[in-house]
Amino acid sequence: MAQCVLHKLVSSDSLSEEKLDAILNIASIYSYAPIKTALNFGFLVRRDYLNYLESQGHQIVDVRTEELQEEFVNQCDISHINSFLYLPLRKNRNNELLVAAADPYDEKLVTSLTVKFRCKIVLVAASDLDITWLGHKLRGGYFVKEAVFSLMKKHPESSALITFTDPQLFFIFGAIAFSFILLIIFFKPTFIIINLMSSIFFLFSILFKLYLALTGSKSELHEVVSKSEIKGVNEATLPVYTILLPVYKEDKLIRKLIWNLRSLDYPKAKLDVKLLIEEDDDKTLNAVRNLDFPANFEVIVVPFHMPKTKPKACNYGLFFCRGEFLTIYDAEDVPDSDQLKKVVCQFRKLPEEFVVLQGALNYFNKNENLLTRMFTLEYSYWFDYMLSGLETLDVPIPLGGTSNHFKLSTLIELGAWDPFNVTEDADLGLRVFDNGLKVGVVNSTTLEEANNEFFNWIRQRSRWIKGYMQTYLVHMRNPARLVRQVGWRGFFGFNFFIGGTSFTFLLYPILLTFFVIYLIFKFAFIRSIFPDWVLYISIFNFVAGNVLMIYVNMLAVFKRRYYELILFAILNPIYWLMHSRAAYMGLWQLITKPFYWEKTNHGLSKMSSTSAVVTPE
Amino acid sequence: MKKLVDKYINGFLALVLLVFYLIMSWILHRTGYEHSENLFIAEKIKILFDAKENTLVTLGTTFPTMVFLSSLIFTPFGYLFSPIISSIALSVTLYFTLLKDFKESSRLPAVVYIPLLSLLFFLHPGLIYSAISGRGVAAILIFFYFLFRSLFRYYQTQTTFYLSMASIYLTCLVFSDFNFIWLLLAFFPFIVLVSLEGLKINKDQAPISQYLESVNNTSQRRKLTNRAIAIYIILFLLPFGALLLFGYLNDNHAGTSDYFINSQYANWHVLGNVPIGEVIATPGTNASFQTQLLFQFYVLLLNPLLILAFFYFRGKLYELFTLLAPFILMTILLINLQFYFIIEYYLIFLILGLIGLSFYAGKKFTKKATWFLVFTVGLLNVFTGIYYFKMTDDAEEKQFYSAIKDYKNWLKVKNNSEEYEVAQFISNIADINNKVLVDDAAAFKIVAHLKSLEGIELPISKSFGTVIENPISGVRYMCVAKRENRLKNFTVLNSYNLNVMQSRGQFTTQLMFESDNWVVYKIYSIED
Repeated sequence: MAQCVLHKLVSSDSLSEEKLDAILNIASIYSYAPIKTALNFGFLVRRDYLNYLESQGHQIVDVRTEELQEEFVNQCDISHINSFLYLPLRKNRNNELLVAAADPYDEKLVTSLTVKFRCKIVLVAASDLDITWLGHKLRGGYFVKEAVFSLMKKHPESSALITFTDPQLFFIFGAIAFSFILLIIFFKPTFIIINLMSSIFFLFSILFKLYLALTGSKSELHEVVSKSEIKGVNEATLPVYTILLPVYKEDKLIRKLIWNLRSLDYPKAKLDVKLLIEEDDDKTLNAVRNLDFPANFEVIVVPFHMPKTKPKACNYGLFFCRGEFLTIYDAEDVPDSDQLKKVVCQFRKLPEEFVVLQGALNYFNKNENLLTRMFTLEYSYWFDYMLSGLETLDVPIPLGGTSNHFKLSTLIELGAWDPFNVTEDADLGLRVFDNGLKVGVVNSTTLEEANNEFFNWIRQRSRWIKGYMQTYLVHMRNPARLVRQVGWRGFFGFNFFIGGTSFTFLLYPILLTFFVIYLIFKFAFIRSIFPDWVLYISIFNFVAGNVLMIYVNMLAVFKRRYYELILFAILNPIYWLMHSRAAYMGLWQLITKPFYWEKTNHGLSKMSSTSAVVTPE
Repeated sequence: MKKLVDKYINGFLALVLLVFYLIMSWILHRTGYEHSENLFIAEKIKILFDAKENTLVTLGTTFPTMVFLSSLIFTPFGYLFSPIISSIALSVTLYFTLLKDFKESSRLPAVVYIPLLSLLFFLHPGLIYSAISGRGVAAILIFFYFLFRSLFRYYQTQTTFYLSMASIYLTCLVFSDFNFIWLLLAFFPFIVLVSLEGLKINKDQAPISQYLESVNNTSQRRKLTNRAIAIYIILFLLPFGALLLFGYLNDNHAGTSDYFINSQYANWHVLGNVPIGEVIATPGTNASFQTQLLFQFYVLLLNPLLILAFFYFRGKLYELFTLLAPFILMTILLINLQFYFIIEYYLIFLILGLIGLSFYAGKKFTKKATWFLVFTVGLLNVFTGIYYFKMTDDAEEKQFYSAIKDYKNWLKVKNNSEEYEVAQFISNIADINNKVLVDDAAAFKIVAHLKSLEGIELPISKSFGTVIENPISGVRYMCVAKRENRLKNFTVLNSYNLNVMQSRGQFTTQLMFESDNWVVYKIYSIED
């Protein structure tokens, strides 16, 4: 049997025989080098391991600064480098090939490289993270290009690379020009029509949301998978589950992340966890390097390529995934501990056409400040009621940022995420429907960190709204085709839910200004422009819309029993003004820099997520 | 065959009831019976569609009334008939829904609940009245039923959906009769009890002990308060939001924010609710039943089905308090009793009894003796319904009862109402050059019967103010409420004001037509 460093660790009593067996077993499942398995599945502390190598007389080379002859690296496949953690450096004077390896005792690696390079191989010890970093940087070029352009090549009509198509530009400018001409020629009637259309749209959009919330709340207690079913799951039958964790400069959250992952009730050997780190993100890489306890994830370094977005990182990560199912979490996420098992059970129960399940998102720092309270109310009705409502009505569901669980093979067939879309998740949810497949909702919650800082919130929200606009434009390139694929109900649902959401936020301050001018200041010129019935309808729509939206927010607290938040819903009009501010920022960016990813800073919360780990009752 | 019958029996019975109510309404119409609320709604619809100006005030201020809204749907059947067909449709829907709910709950077998409900809807005079009088009673009953049904379903499922639906139905109920807003106070006991259910306290002890335990513990007290407030807000935000909205709109378009509640032009209850003092002053009245202590017992005696429901809900405290909430409402209304309670304030308790039976604490009526008991009590309820009409002091209810009772007169020559005769006269004289001044605040029955609004000067007209000041400038005729007219104080066109106008010395009058309550004058300029 080929020897490796782990055997040495066993012989020095630093590792038990049982653990070694477990490591070798996992390594055979994933086709990984044993050392990679040991470092990525929580068996060894990375820092201790390097200390051990040094104690054994190995000098740890810094591959990033080492002289490198690329002709050798170029002969290696990134998947192989990634699985076996080595990197050919250069030949020495003795015609021996120096290879940096995480395990300098790996006999199997030496044998395979000797065959490959037909020369003597000399392994030198190096940090697995540095090898991974340089390996992906040098050999990840093809994959990263695929990650960026694959969807565009396969399904150009679904890519947001082109923000506005020519017909869309023609339509938008045509509508603006037409309105201007009408305003010049027939100012009053045109103004009245615009006013009426806006206010009616506003009310309908909110009525639709209320309808969705009510429909969703009807199935509040409906559980597709019961707790006893989850308890009865035979763990041997569970498939490998991939978890993607795209991060960027989240060094402060790495410890939390490991803690949260540990709380997942799923066989550790079957968790294929990928931490996706950008090439220039040394902060996070060093945080992983400096951990003083075993990590339970594998680091994938995403080579630099524009656009630098989360979907691009996820697409890149897909090339290295081993799971049957896949989900995405953010670094600070605290999923329900039984979430993965629940998803597997639910997928087994649902028809084949269900290829994605969206989990509910909520916040662990809900009581931190006013913003987090409002955010919690919003997320509660969105994920607990709206999405259930959309599912019940069979209307396209825009996926949330995290906790969406995919069948991996279908995800790849669909072209995965669009790296040019800044709400790639929402877009993907709609693409699923476009392809005649279905998105379901799983009754399981992931707690996140609510944005607790105003400008950070505005940036995050502007990206979301911009993404909704992008998604709307992409899917409305051919409305007739969309109707054919999702039906009239899906089409209207899409227009009111995706298009309507952004549009209402843009509209809101205008209607509010009108309301204030008319009702509070009672300016006479308003009455001279608009007949009474127009004012009546406009005020009715605006006030009714606001009251209903407050009401929808209030409904949210019931399922979660966040009763103390109910009165905060009254502040929804102010919260909507914040949305409007973000919507205009998003609109401006959609025109000026559509692919720019407004980074949201995480880890700002002073509240701990560890206390919020949710365990099934 | 059995499956087919099972599937379509409810629909078939509802259809039979519809035909029955249509025939009954036709018969009642032949006898000349017309309820003032029916005519009030018909008149507003006529103004909405036929008047040339200011229809927004009519639509915008009367619009919140559910009976007006539902009648609008049936306008193609005629202005006068639309409120009647609307109340028939609502009653039949209520009957169908009850059949469906009893079937779904399967607490009683079909051989009991179908005869029971049919007995009530075909024979109970109160339910027949609510269906064919064209009043808003049917709207009140159906939304009352939906409200309480949603509350009971909320207890069963604990889903927000039913609480939200309860809120929506409560809004509809408040916009059917504003007095139901006082459920705000009446719901307090059961909301607190429901909130107690969600707390982690010793559930084996008495509710009062549970309550004391919760209020003496900071954490539990906070939870109790939060939950109770949350339920309150969810239930009452929509009705209050809607009232606020219409307050705004009324303020901007009708001049005062409570126009839709307190104006005789917008709300029939302003005219239709008879002051209790007026009733008590009448000799031979039975209004003394409506004194605070006796009233609830009287209501209970008139609704034996509810007594039965109470019996079955014993031990289910918050469900029992839910059933008691309308009694608390009545107590609140009696604190400052201003008007005489009419049929809807009795019928809601019959509906409450039916809700109680269909939800009966989750148990089934399995004994045949119980079936017999339920049916017998239902039959008794029909008799108490007849008793109610014998005892009522409301003139229009009395009139209805005598019209129904005198079946020998059903097919005789149709009697025309007084207002119909006045309206015929006005229709014959009014045209664009010979305008008639009519104030529909009191004369809404006349306006409802007019063939057209051409040549009629109404208060919604922008020139009405000028014409009232100087009638000769705009009209040739005036329709004036006589001293005997009960509604004379609601209109500017009454005999007293006519004298005041005449005293200004601008015109003289010539009597053209007179009935018990109305006079139509032709007016001449003094200069002529």
